[in-house]
Amino acid sequence: MRWWVFLPAMAIALSVDVAFMPVLALGPFEPRLWPVVLAFCAMYASRESTLWAALVTGLWLDAAHATVVASAADPVPSAVPIIGPHVLACLAGAWPVLELRAVLYRRNVLAIAFAAGTCAAASALAFVALAGIRAAYADAVPLWGTGSGAAAVGVDLGSALYTAVLGLLPARLLHETLPAWDFATAGPRFSPGVRIGRDP
Amino acid sequence: MRFPTSQRLLTGAVALAALCAALPERSQAAWSGAVSVALWAPLWPATALLSLARNAIRPSDPPYEGLPEALRDALAERDRLQGELDAASLRLRQVETELGELTGYRPGREDGWRPRLATVVQRSAGRPPGLFVIDQGPEHGVDKGDPVVVGGNRLVGLVAAGSAGAGRSLVIPLDDARAGRIDAVVMAPPPAPPAGAKPPSKPPAPVAVLVQLLPAGKGRLVGEFDPSGEVKPGDPVILSDATWKPGAQGMRIGTVEAVGVLDANPLRRRVEVRMDADPARVGRVVVKVSASGTATGGRP
Repeated sequence: MRWWVFLPAMAIALSVDVAFMPVLALGPFEPRLWPVVLAFCAMYASRESTLWAALVTGLWLDAAHATVVASAADPVPSAVPIIGPHVLACLAGAWPVLELRAVLYRRNVLAIAFAAGTCAAASALAFVALAGIRAAYADAVPLWGTGSGAAAVGVDLGSALYTAVLGLLPARLLHETLPAWDFATAGPRFSPGVRIGRDP
Repeated sequence: MRFPTSQRLLTGAVALAALCAALPERSQAAWSGAVSVALWAPLWPATALLSLARNAIRPSDPPYEGLPEALRDALAERDRLQGELDAASLRLRQVETELGELTGYRPGREDGWRPRLATVVQRSAGRPPGLFVIDQGPEHGVDKGDPVVVGGNRLVGLVAAGSAGAGRSLVIPLDDARAGRIDAVVMAPPPAPPAGAKPPSKPPAPVAVLVQLLPAGKGRLVGEFDPSGEVKPGDPVILSDATWKPGAQGMRIGTVEAVGVLDANPLRRRVEVRMDADPARVGRVVVKVSASGTATGGRP
């Protein structure tokens, strides 16, 4: 996998998630692009490359999610990014896709969309579980925010389903860029310089 | 370009991530902010552009669109003034509440105590999470054992011994087992006069039934009383404990929630009391500080 392709692609996906996806929100359910990109990589890249990609994605997500810490000494609460939970959650999200890819027809965009939904759901479950563990000893307010963990899981699973549905289009676009990624398992037909498509 | 994908390096990175994920936020506060800024700096231009696109797709509604400019300006000025009025009203209500807390007391002995308004500045995260800290300490005349009340006469707890920092005091709520056993009185309504009897010239006084209460947590206290007294759910319970300071006597603890049998002692009955003030929700309290030289009794 070419990292100079993955990093800008994931950066664009995260930027869209942060700045643009709220437009497409249906109530509490908000689609995400990063699971689509990560699932796309997990379908084609080597196992190590996929786990590294999940690690980088999680690090980016952790950097974006600050938790509010109230202090008795200061009436103004402070916001502290917690590095780690999203990293583990993204690894947990990429893992089932790595296990499932052998039984999926990856050239089909439906398979990528299904993998994206699986990735988003698994990472959401892992994140809420980690946040619940942290809340038991470290965080006064759980990392998922207010409300119960079950409610957070419900919203995240709904968002994962929405991500899978909306991921059909970006999955198609990502397939168009397949030669540029230089995936290890994409086969020689998708190696750089080889012409693809229906044209003779 | 190939990323270093050695298995050992990956395992180390995952282990480091797991370690970071387990660290409490105070351990990360020193450096995670810088990491966050560094990671998100490259994304800022794209995020800013996409935000512009989002605002173009879903613009916020401009106020009073389509109206003449003079009318729009007048309405905007009205909104500004309304905002200032709302803020002033809010402040006025807050000051009135504080004044009401301070003047709502009519002590039998004015020289026995004086009210001291305090704000809850911290809550304990321990087990059970009942203790809270107020911003009034020994420097303000607050002493250990001083009762803490809200709403005029609803008892919340008492000031604990020990320091909670300069100008601060720890308060043990009534429902915390660390507050110990509490002697109280249930103000049971008087028995109804027999049928056909002449009504009394003045309303009969409630009958005081002594109870001993033990804190049971979550705003509840459980106790027992002599079955000769008539206690019913809804009866008020007030403090009558010689170990508490004089200012606490007669303050209301709560309301009888349930009355039942006491299996361990058939000669007595069981009573459950629900506190009137929820210690977990109070934000401002009044400490009944003993006036110097007049305080008598009180917990050691």
